[in-house]
Amino acid sequence: MDKNFQEKFTQITKFKPPLYKQRHQFVKDLVEKYKPKKVADLGCADCRLLWMLKFCSCIEVLAGLDICANVMKEKMHTLSPLPVDYLQPSERSLTITLHHGSVAHKDPCMLGFDLVTCIELIEHLEEPDLKKFPEVVFGFMAPSIVVISTPNSEFNPLLPGVMLYRHPDHKFEWNQAQFQSWALETARCYDYSVEFTGVGHPPTGMEKAGFCTQIGVFIRKYPQTGESVQSEKPTEAVYKTVFKAVYPSLKDEKYLQNAVISEVIFTAQIIKHRLMSKHEEYGNDPERKSKFQPSMDCFSDYLGNLVVEKNMEPFLSGNEVYIPLATIFSFPKVNRLCGTFEKLCKLIAGKVTLSSDGSAVMFSIECENEDD
Amino acid sequence: MTGRARARGRPPRQGSALPAVGDAPPQQPQQLQQLQQPQQLQQLHVPPPQSEEPGGQGRLRGFESVLQERRPEGLQVSSGLQDLSLRDRGGRRRDFHDLGVNTRQAMVHVQESKTGFSGRMVKLTTNHFRLTSRPQWALYQYHVGYSPEMEARRLRSALLFQHEEHIGKTHAFDGSILFLPKKLESKVTELFSRTRNGEDVKITVTLTNELPPTSPTCLQFYNIIFRRLLKMLNLQQIGRNYYNPSDPVSIPNHRLMVWLGFTSSILQYEENIMLCADVSHKVLRGETVLDTMHSLHSQVGEERFRDICAKELIGLIVLTRYNNRTYRIDDIDWDNNPKGTFRKSDGSEMSFVEYYKKQYNIEISDWMQPVLISQMKRKRGNIQGSVALIPELCSLTGLTDKMRNDFNMMKDLAIHTRLPPEQRQREIGRLLSYIQKDDNVQKELRNWGLSFDYKSVSFTGRVVQGEKIFQSGNMFDYNPQFADWTKETRGVPLIRAVPVDSWLLIYTRRNYDVANTLLQSLFKVTPSMGIRMNKPNMIEVDDRTEAYLRVLQQRVTPDTNIVFCILSSSRKDKYDAIKKYLCTDCPIPSQCVLARTLSKPQTIMTVATKIALQMNCKMGGELWSVEIPLKQVMIVGIDCYHDTVSGKQSIAGFVASLNQTVTRWFSRCVVQSRGQELVDGIKACLQTALRNWSKWNKCLPSRIFVYRDGVGDGQLNTLVNYEVPQFLDCLKSIGTDYSPRLTVIVVKKRVGARFFAEIGGGLKNPPPGTVVDTVVTRPEWYDFFIVSQTVKNGCVAPTHYNVIYDTSQLKPDHVQRLTYKLCHMYYNWSGIIRVPAPCQYAHKLAFLVGQSIHREPNLMLSDRLYYL
Repeated sequence: MDKNFQEKFTQITKFKPPLYKQRHQFVKDLVEKYKPKKVADLGCADCRLLWMLKFCSCIEVLAGLDICANVMKEKMHTLSPLPVDYLQPSERSLTITLHHGSVAHKDPCMLGFDLVTCIELIEHLEEPDLKKFPEVVFGFMAPSIVVISTPNSEFNPLLPGVMLYRHPDHKFEWNQAQFQSWALETARCYDYSVEFTGVGHPPTGMEKAGFCTQIGVFIRKYPQTGESVQSEKPTEAVYKTVFKAVYPSLKDEKYLQNAVISEVIFTAQIIKHRLMSKHEEYGNDPERKSKFQPSMDCFSDYLGNLVVEKNMEPFLSGNEVYIPLATIFSFPKVNRLCGTFEKLCKLIAGKVTLSSDGSAVMFSIECENEDD
Repeated sequence: MTGRARARGRPPRQGSALPAVGDAPPQQPQQLQQLQQPQQLQQLHVPPPQSEEPGGQGRLRGFESVLQERRPEGLQVSSGLQDLSLRDRGGRRRDFHDLGVNTRQAMVHVQESKTGFSGRMVKLTTNHFRLTSRPQWALYQYHVGYSPEMEARRLRSALLFQHEEHIGKTHAFDGSILFLPKKLESKVTELFSRTRNGEDVKITVTLTNELPPTSPTCLQFYNIIFRRLLKMLNLQQIGRNYYNPSDPVSIPNHRLMVWLGFTSSILQYEENIMLCADVSHKVLRGETVLDTMHSLHSQVGEERFRDICAKELIGLIVLTRYNNRTYRIDDIDWDNNPKGTFRKSDGSEMSFVEYYKKQYNIEISDWMQPVLISQMKRKRGNIQGSVALIPELCSLTGLTDKMRNDFNMMKDLAIHTRLPPEQRQREIGRLLSYIQKDDNVQKELRNWGLSFDYKSVSFTGRVVQGEKIFQSGNMFDYNPQFADWTKETRGVPLIRAVPVDSWLLIYTRRNYDVANTLLQSLFKVTPSMGIRMNKPNMIEVDDRTEAYLRVLQQRVTPDTNIVFCILSSSRKDKYDAIKKYLCTDCPIPSQCVLARTLSKPQTIMTVATKIALQMNCKMGGELWSVEIPLKQVMIVGIDCYHDTVSGKQSIAGFVASLNQTVTRWFSRCVVQSRGQELVDGIKACLQTALRNWSKWNKCLPSRIFVYRDGVGDGQLNTLVNYEVPQFLDCLKSIGTDYSPRLTVIVVKKRVGARFFAEIGGGLKNPPPGTVVDTVVTRPEWYDFFIVSQTVKNGCVAPTHYNVIYDTSQLKPDHVQRLTYKLCHMYYNWSGIIRVPAPCQYAHKLAFLVGQSIHREPNLMLSDRLYYL
C-alpha cells in the first residue's frame, strides 16, 4: 500500500517537506539518538524507510515486514549492496532481510530487535489483527523501543478532499484521545512507557487539532531479556523471506584479508617507487629533476620522518627491493585495518612475497619497460 | 552551469519494474503519434517493399519467409520501438542493435544468397544460444487509457494492477503500454478502479498489436526480460552489462579489481532468434577519485597537478558510494568544494557536506577537494544540465590510457581477462547454468512462454586459402598458423625503396652512443632491402622541447628526406611538438624512437629492421603486395577518433589507394568540433581522392570500395541515410557520364560473437582466414565475419563486415576475399591484421591528428604513409 503517495499529492502545498518525509526523518532522528543495532520496520511497503536507514552506520541488522510481497519486490533491489560496497567494504556489517507476513503472526526472525517501527501501519489492520498486534510486537518481539504512527482524525477537516478516511484501505482513523488510550493501555499491559508526539503541525489557531500524524514512542521498562527467555518462545517460522542481502564488511575475514593485502602491496609499491626514483635521480633526466620540487605530498613527508629509525628503512639488495613490514605497518591505513602487527603478519601470510626472515616485503626489479 | 546535484535527491532508480520508465512523460498517447513521424521519414530511405502493407497491423504470421514477415514489422516499428519507451535503465532510446535497418533488400544480387563458397570447411561453435518459445507464441500489446487522466506512472500502475485477476500476474507496463503473454477476452477491456481520494477511474485496455516473435519490439522485449533475469541472479549492473560481485579477482599491485560478468543480447539471426552471451570483465579500482588525485599530486607536484588530473580523469566513468549509477567525468571544478552549495528541486540551497550527511549519513572528510562535473546527456523529466560529484565518494572504473600503456599492468590483467577458448566457453556455460538452475528465473521464463537451448550453436565455416606475398619478383607463402611473414621476407629487396640521401638524426648528449649503434645497425640492414642510405646530419640537442624545435627550424631543408629523433622519455609534449611542426608548418616525414627501445643489444637488429621499413613507408616507399584481381579499383578506408580529453574534437581519418597494386595511399583527415557532422568533410575527401587517383592512373576508378570503421552501435541508420547518399552525390558531381560501382562496407571490431574451432576434440581459436556468413549473421543485412588475425593468448575476436551498399555486382565470395586480402596490406606489421589495411591506416592517421596535431596535416604529405 502506498501510503506516502496520496498525501504527497494532496498536501504538498501544506507540508514542507512532505509529511512522509517528516515521519521518516523522525525515525532517523530516533535512530541517531538511541543508536540501535537491529531495526525492524513493520509494514515496510516500498522499503523507502529501510533504504534511508541502511545509511545509518549504527545499524547492523535491518528487517522489513509487509503483508504484500509485490509492493516490497518492486523496490527491494534498492536495498542491495552497490558495487562500491564491494570495492570498499565498510567497517560495520549489515544484513538486510525482507519478510512477507502479517503483524498478527509471531515469527522468531523478529526476535532480538532494538527498535521496531510501525509507521502508518495500525490503521490498515482489521479488528482481529489489531487485537493480536500488541501481543506480537510488545509481548513477543519485545524490542527496547517501538515507534507507532497513525493519522490523527481531528486533523482531517483541515485536509482538502478527505471525506471519511485519508486512504480507502484505512480501517479506522483515531482521534488523539483514542490513540492515546490504546497506547497507554498497551504500554501498561507490556511494561513499556510511552510518550506522544507527532509530525505535521496544525495551522496557527487550530492547535487543538494536534499533529497531522500522531506518534507514540514506547520504551521498554524492563531490561533486555536474556537468551533463556527467548528460547521459550515458539520457533516455528511463518514468514516467507523474499529478500536477503549481506553487505561486504571488514568484519568478514575474507574482505579484511583482501583489503589488507591490497593496501600492503600498494603501500610497498609506493615506497619502492620512491626508493627507485631516488636512485635514478642522480644525473638521469634533468627535465624531470628540476620539476620535482618538494611537494606537499603526505607520503614523502611521512617517509622522511620514518627513515630516522634505522631498521625501518627500505633497501636494495641485488635485484631485489626490501620494504620492512614495520614500515608498512606504520602507515595509518594499514595500521587501522590490522590493529596489531601480528594480525598484519597473519593476514598476509602466503599471499605476499616476503624476505626469508619474513620481516620485509620483497619485490624483484625486473626489466620494467618492454618495447612499445 | 553551476553544480547541481539534483539527480541525487532521488532514491537510486533501479527498481525491478520492467519498463524502467521512471520519468515517462504523462502524455504518452500524444507522444506516440509525434514520434512516429521521424521513424516514417527514415523508412523512406529504405526502398519501399514491393507490396502495399495493410496499415500497420502486423498480423502476418506463420507461413511467409522470415524476411517477408519482418518487413511489415519494420514499418510498424514506429509504434513499437522508438516511442514505446520500453527503455533500458538510463532512459536510453538508442537502438544499440541497429534493429530495423534493412539494407539487404535493396541489393538484388544478394537476395537469394549472401554466402561465399571458397576455402575448406571448418567446424565451429559459437557463443549463441537458440531461444525457443512455445508454438504460436505472440506478445500482446495493449494501450492503457485512463479517464479521468492520471498523471503519475506509479498511480497508473497501481490502479491497473488492482485487476490482476483480469490481466494476469505476468505483465510489463510502462505507464501507457502494456505487454501480456496472453490475449484478453475482448479487444477492448474496461476496468474500474478507485483512487485513494475516492475518485472513480475508468481504465480502458485496448489491444493495439499482436507481435510475432520476430518483431523488433519483441526482440527488444526479450532483451529486457533477459536483463530482468540477470538481476534476479543477483548480478550487479554496471553500464550496459551485468557482473558478479561476489567473486572478484583482485590485483593489488595496481589496486585493481576485476569482476567477471556477461554481455548479452537477443537478436534475430539468419534462421533463429538467439541469445549471444559473452564473458565481460569489468576493471574497477579499489580507490576513490580523491585517492587518485592524491597520488597524482605526489607524482607530478603542484605545478602540473591540475593539468594532469584533467588528462587522467576526464572521460573516465565513476561509480558513486550512494547510488547505483555511473557517471562520466566531464570536467573538474577547481573553484568549488564540498562546502559549496547547490539548489535542490524544491528551490532551497544546500551545501554538499550537509546534503550527503542528511541524505546518506555520509561524512565528507576532505572539505578542500574540488568537485567533479558530469553532463547529463539526456533530458530526464525536467532534469537537465550537469551533476556535481564529490571525488571522495566516487570510485573509478575502467582503465586510463596511461594504464593501457603500462605494459606490466596489462600483463597482470591479461592473466585474468584473456581467457583461452575452452575457458571462455566454460564461463559462458556457467551463466547458462545459473539461468537453468534458478527457480525464480525459470518461473519468469515460463510465464512468458520462453526457454533457451542450453547448448551453443554449432555450424561450419570456411577457411579461405592464404595469400601469396609478392616482393620485387619474389613470392612467399607464410605459415597460416602464425599469419606472419617477417622471417620469410627478411633480406629481400622491397617493391619500392626510397633512397635516404639527406636526413637528420637528432639526439641528446646522453643518447650519443645509442644514436651510433642505431646508425650502424641501419647501415647493416638497409642494403639488402635495396635502400640506399647516406650518412645523416648528426645533431646533438638539449633534452628540451624548444631545443628540438629550434634545430628543426634551422636545419631542415627542402631536400631533407626524413627527420629522425631519438627521445629520452615518452613525454608526450615533446613528441607532439615535433610531430605538429613536421606535419603542418614544415611537411617532412619524421621518425621518433625512444632511446630505451634502442638500448638492448640483443634486439637492436630487429628493431633497426622495423625502423628502416617504417622510414621507407613514411617517405613513400612500398614493401610488399598481394594479388588484387580487380582492375581500376580504388579502396577507401575511414576511421574516427574522438578526443576524450578536451571532448571537443572528432577526427575522421580518410585514406584511399592510389595505384593498381594498392600499395600507395592518399590520405586526408577531417577535424570536426562537437556537434558538427563528419559527413560533409568526408565528401570533400572523396573528391580529392578521386582527383589524385585519376592523376596517378590517367582515368577515374571504375570501382570504389569504402571500408568504414568507427561506426558506433546504433549509428548504422545515420550511415545508410546520410553518409552513403553523400558518397553518391560526390560521385555524381564528378561528371554526368561517371558512374562507378560503389561498395560501402561497415567494419566492426567490437562484436559480441566469438567462434571456436572444434579441433582434435577441443576448442581452439579458428585459424586466420575463417569466414562465417551463415547462422550468426543477420537476415536483413549482407554481412559476414572474418577472423583474419591470430592471437597469442585469449580468444580471437572476429571482425564483422556489413555491406550496406553495393552496386559492384560482385559475388559475396569475391567481396570476402578482397576484404581478407586487404588485411595483408598494413605495412607496419608484416602479418595479417584484424581489419583491412585502409582502416588501420585511417585509424593511425586519425589518432596522430587527434592526439598530437589537432588540425589537418599539410597536404604535401598526403601521398605518403607519414602517420605510421
